[in-house]
Amino acid sequence: MSRTDAVTRILFEAFPTAEVRLFYALGYAAIGVFGYGVYVQIRKYRRGAALQLEGSPWSRFTEMVAIVLRHSTVARRDPGAGAAHRLIFYGFVLLFLGTATITLEYDILEPLFGIRFWQGAFYLVFSLILDIAGVALIGGLAFMMVRRGWMRLPKLDYARPDRVPGDPDFDRPHYRREDWAFLWTLLIIGGTGYLLEASRLVWLQARPDVWDSRWWSPVGALIAEGLRAAGLNADGGGLLRHGLWWFHGLLALAFIALIPYTKVKHIFTAAGSLMARDPLAAQRLPRIPEAQEAPGVAKITDFTWKQLLNLDACTKCGRCHEACPARAVGAPLSPRDVILSLREFANATLESGVLPAAAELDVHGKAPGQVAMETLWSCRTCMACVEICPVAVEHVPIIVQLRRKLVEDGAMDPLLTKTLQTIHKTGNSFGESKRKRGSWSKSLPFKVKDARKEPVEVLWFVGDYASFDPRNQKVSQIFAELLHEAQVDFGILFDGESNAGNDVRRVGEEGLYEVLVNANVAALQGASFKTIVTTDPHSYNTIRNEYPDFGAKYPIEHYTSFVKRLFDSGKLKVNQPLKYRTTFHDPCHLGRFNKGYEAPREVLKLLGCEIVEMGRSRANSFCCGAGGGRIWIPDPVGAEKPAQNRIKEAAAIPGLEVYVVSCPKDLTMFEDALKTTGNEGKFVVKELIELMREAIPAARTEEAYA
Amino acid sequence: MKILVAVKQVAALDEDFEIRADGRDVEADFLIRDLNEWDDFSLEEAVKIKEAAAEPIEVIAVCVGPEEVDESLRKCLAKGADRAIRVWDAAIEGSDPIAIARVLAAVAKSEAPAMLFAGVQSSDHSFASTGIATAAILGWPHAAVVSSLDYTPGAKSAVFRRELEGGLLHEVEIQCPAVLTIQLGINTPRYASLRSIKQAAAKPIEVRSLADLGLSAGDVGEAGSLSRVRRMYLPDKGRAQLIEGDAAQQAKRLADIIREFKGAAA
Repeated sequence: MSRTDAVTRILFEAFPTAEVRLFYALGYAAIGVFGYGVYVQIRKYRRGAALQLEGSPWSRFTEMVAIVLRHSTVARRDPGAGAAHRLIFYGFVLLFLGTATITLEYDILEPLFGIRFWQGAFYLVFSLILDIAGVALIGGLAFMMVRRGWMRLPKLDYARPDRVPGDPDFDRPHYRREDWAFLWTLLIIGGTGYLLEASRLVWLQARPDVWDSRWWSPVGALIAEGLRAAGLNADGGGLLRHGLWWFHGLLALAFIALIPYTKVKHIFTAAGSLMARDPLAAQRLPRIPEAQEAPGVAKITDFTWKQLLNLDACTKCGRCHEACPARAVGAPLSPRDVILSLREFANATLESGVLPAAAELDVHGKAPGQVAMETLWSCRTCMACVEICPVAVEHVPIIVQLRRKLVEDGAMDPLLTKTLQTIHKTGNSFGESKRKRGSWSKSLPFKVKDARKEPVEVLWFVGDYASFDPRNQKVSQIFAELLHEAQVDFGILFDGESNAGNDVRRVGEEGLYEVLVNANVAALQGASFKTIVTTDPHSYNTIRNEYPDFGAKYPIEHYTSFVKRLFDSGKLKVNQPLKYRTTFHDPCHLGRFNKGYEAPREVLKLLGCEIVEMGRSRANSFCCGAGGGRIWIPDPVGAEKPAQNRIKEAAAIPGLEVYVVSCPKDLTMFEDALKTTGNEGKFVVKELIELMREAIPAARTEEAYA
Repeated sequence: MKILVAVKQVAALDEDFEIRADGRDVEADFLIRDLNEWDDFSLEEAVKIKEAAAEPIEVIAVCVGPEEVDESLRKCLAKGADRAIRVWDAAIEGSDPIAIARVLAAVAKSEAPAMLFAGVQSSDHSFASTGIATAAILGWPHAAVVSSLDYTPGAKSAVFRRELEGGLLHEVEIQCPAVLTIQLGINTPRYASLRSIKQAAAKPIEVRSLADLGLSAGDVGEAGSLSRVRRMYLPDKGRAQLIEGDAAQQAKRLADIIREFKGAAA
């Protein structure tokens, strides 16, 4: 057992064989417990529905590793937590690698091949690195403790907006206990590591191979000096070392054994979830396979294995809880709690050896672990949750799959039922005659081409709101004028166009969505055009991302980028710069969904406007509340609406003149909110198209109307 | 045991409609077809009774009309009807409600249901007589405008309520089989998802001819009807006028008009 010939790691020195054997036995037991836990978890995921991921596993793996190493997703919108987690992560990884290499040498390479590398300069440098890693780990943990204990962050409050105090799963104190146990366990493992190192130094202070190189373990050496100053001698150091060795070792083994049973498992589940990530999770919802008997998710086992893994990846960081517009206005929905609730349900049902009967697997309802329909119908499918999740939990498709089941059962607001029936009957949500779809163009001084009858360069997909809502019809007329003046060869589909189906699909009425897609694809196929331009971000999203799944792949862009090019090429010119102080609201489906952040801002600048950004902008833009079919469901009376919450945010900008939108539903929602929040007269809500008209008045000559 | 539900596919006017060349109806191109709203409620009532019953109940939707009414029958199948029967013959064209009732009564005789439901009226022609006429032809007891119903399949009688003037409720016991015409609001009709409608497309719709029902061409159509539509037209425009201008101008003009009518001094 003596290895005093060179500077090296002191392992089992002075341990009786029985104790070494006991340690190995406990080590194997810990690995066994760990292995069983992993088995149970994998069995749980395998009880979910099958899913074939797109793309190569290798590129998925390398992307995941890159995200984990960069910590880019963890640091977003919370740099403090990001930095602390980085310290814990890298500290933990280095210490783990250190321990693993010791095992590699001591238990494998040396006994089998006689190879030793844990000595001399290598050991000393490694010792220094591990000492620093320990500081990083403890520092990161300390910050997290302060954050949890004193910062009182609302996102770390586990109280649920979809439950009331007294419900068994209202604020789940066991989560808090687990968080603290996790932090303390790691902290104690780290702390006792240093004490162990220090007591070993005190114990072996007479051995030059140990003592002379002590400053390569600076923290340990410092503590050792302290212990010596406090009167600890070599014998006392030996005793302390023996006790601490066991304490530290047992705690570390227990930690490893408990990984699959506690939140520590996020080490694996988060990595797996990131690897299974779908970059278009909310933009492109899954079709219902032909063979599937019932649509959507009724039972926990109807979720795919990937979704079950998503549930386990959640670390309760609360970023989705914070970003959710429904939660912000007090609706009974937190994306975090949908995930946690389903996770609790999955653990209660799918971790047992025998799969419970189907009736016990129903995830719909109000019992603990189940998701209530009020919760599901509160969602705006705005993607704020999916976008910010650091571990690639994809809430929106989970919620829509649950809604599909509700739609099949007719469990929805009567007004939504009515709207769906109306859309089926007339192809639009206004219940207007199909024939009237292009009527807004009748008052124009020129004729808008019918793209079904004559070829056009640009097919303008107008969408429901811009076609039928009187306020938005005015915007459509202006846009037609601008295109006409810019000599763009454009046309529309008139009554051949139907609701594009984006929101119908997000409601969960997949059958109706398919009907709408088929109708629109038939109309598009019957028209001759080069590219599609749309003024409606919702139509833009579904035609761009979802129609290809139905064999209809068309080049399409939102009008903002199209118009930007008209300015760049000189086809549109600003004659009267506007000088307004504006703020721009990113529509969910243009911004977050399709990353169209720049074009509208560039156009606004071209018009001469000053842009003052709201706190929540671009990827963190705050939904107007109309998405996911919510525009067809009445909001609760008296409660704040998301659009009102947003207008209040804008109203805080000093001297704001124009709140600029580039989505028909936004115009409707925010003009309403402007009035109901009492901000009318202080600033106005305008479509970017209307500002363009103001800045280009000269083009509107009599000649243009001739 | 069977419950027969008589349904109709009604027409709603599209924008800018035109009258048919013979002047007796609207040009078919300008009509949007759908299941009659009242029938949505009577079908739902039948399906609810079926779902609550201990014994198996067969809900049968029956519609008199050409092939295009299959769409409405499919909706009935999607919402829970077990069978759908469509009766058509070119001779039926031009039937009045009594002639249609003759057809429905013949179907009722062949199916022998324990109950026959119909809507109070159809939203397009609003005769409100087909259901009751069917009862008369069958010689069954009947009641109109039923707004709530207690009925256990197999029972000799049912109890229903009707709303009368002044908020009064009229509770009536009726012998079965009976014909009840069902009022809006008696229940909340379920949503038929497009998927369920699509699946219902796979279910057969039983087509019956007049001969199948033991009827002849003379029993239906204009030959079998005692009333016929003479013409359908828009009356000459009345004196409505659109007041334009902003709110103040509109208010002033409105006040002027009222003064004019009152004959008061300006």
